[in-house]
Amino acid sequence: MLLFFVMIALGNGLCIILSRTINGRLAQVSNAFYASLVNHVIGFIFLCIIILLSPTTFVIDLTNIPLIALLGGVIGAFFVVINSYVLPLLGATLTTILAISGQVISSVVTDIIQHGLPNNIYLQILGIILILGAIGLRYIKK
Amino acid sequence: MKKDITLSMIAVLSGVLLTLMIMNNSYLSTFTSPLQASWITHGIGSVAAFLIWVIARRKTIRADNGSKKIPIWCYFGGIPGAFTVLLAAITVNSPLSLSGSIVLMLTGQIVTGLVMDHVGLLGLTKRKITMRDGLTVVLLLLGSILIIMGR
Repeated sequence: MLLFFVMIALGNGLCIILSRTINGRLAQVSNAFYASLVNHVIGFIFLCIIILLSPTTFVIDLTNIPLIALLGGVIGAFFVVINSYVLPLLGATLTTILAISGQVISSVVTDIIQHGLPNNIYLQILGIILILGAIGLRYIKK
Repeated sequence: MKKDITLSMIAVLSGVLLTLMIMNNSYLSTFTSPLQASWITHGIGSVAAFLIWVIARRKTIRADNGSKKIPIWCYFGGIPGAFTVLLAAITVNSPLSLSGSIVLMLTGQIVTGLVMDHVGLLGLTKRKITMRDGLTVVLLLLGSILIIMGR
């Protein structure tokens, strides 16, 4: 059973890159702004279908939700623009490695801002050094 | 080389945006379910992307390569993208938990990226997998695991 979940998590990574690469291609043959628009509209239509097919009733009480919680969608629109622009130029691997690095390091920083210092800051710093090393490796001339 | 650095900085910035986006969407999920949150975010994202697109169209001189025909599969990037939210909801609530899910998702991403670059899939420029790629992946994953362990 665990193997099943492992496969799903790995498959999720595959979905992520598939999506970004397709958007990157669309950005190349059209432009990155259009790619973000198409990505969100098609994703939205797809999720509408999923929701219609799912047996659970779908109720959202919008009055409960603070406006700031809706900002994620706006950030996502910008994310797809810039990621689709860069990906075809740098390649899927390098773009992914750089995005992951930015993601991991900024989440360590936000965690510290939100929750204070982690249990083992030295382990985290070592982790960050390894990640920076991984990026640095890409820029050493062969 | 200078252009490469700029592009790299943009790629790193996109990762920072991902952090903010995931933080915000998780916050949204506390009011709804992950599926509902994803639906709302995609809806809001569509509106935002539309506005950005309209503004960008006006500002930039349209260097339109209208002669190029857009393959139909180029329009379906949003579908695997929408799937990720659902798949993540499954694994995060499994014995893998959040940290296990994250490490496996990162692994899946990098391996997929390497294979697609190697083969030149979906219009990518072919970039052969090298020893250096292997070392980068090991360092990146090790670093991510240490950060998760240090929490």
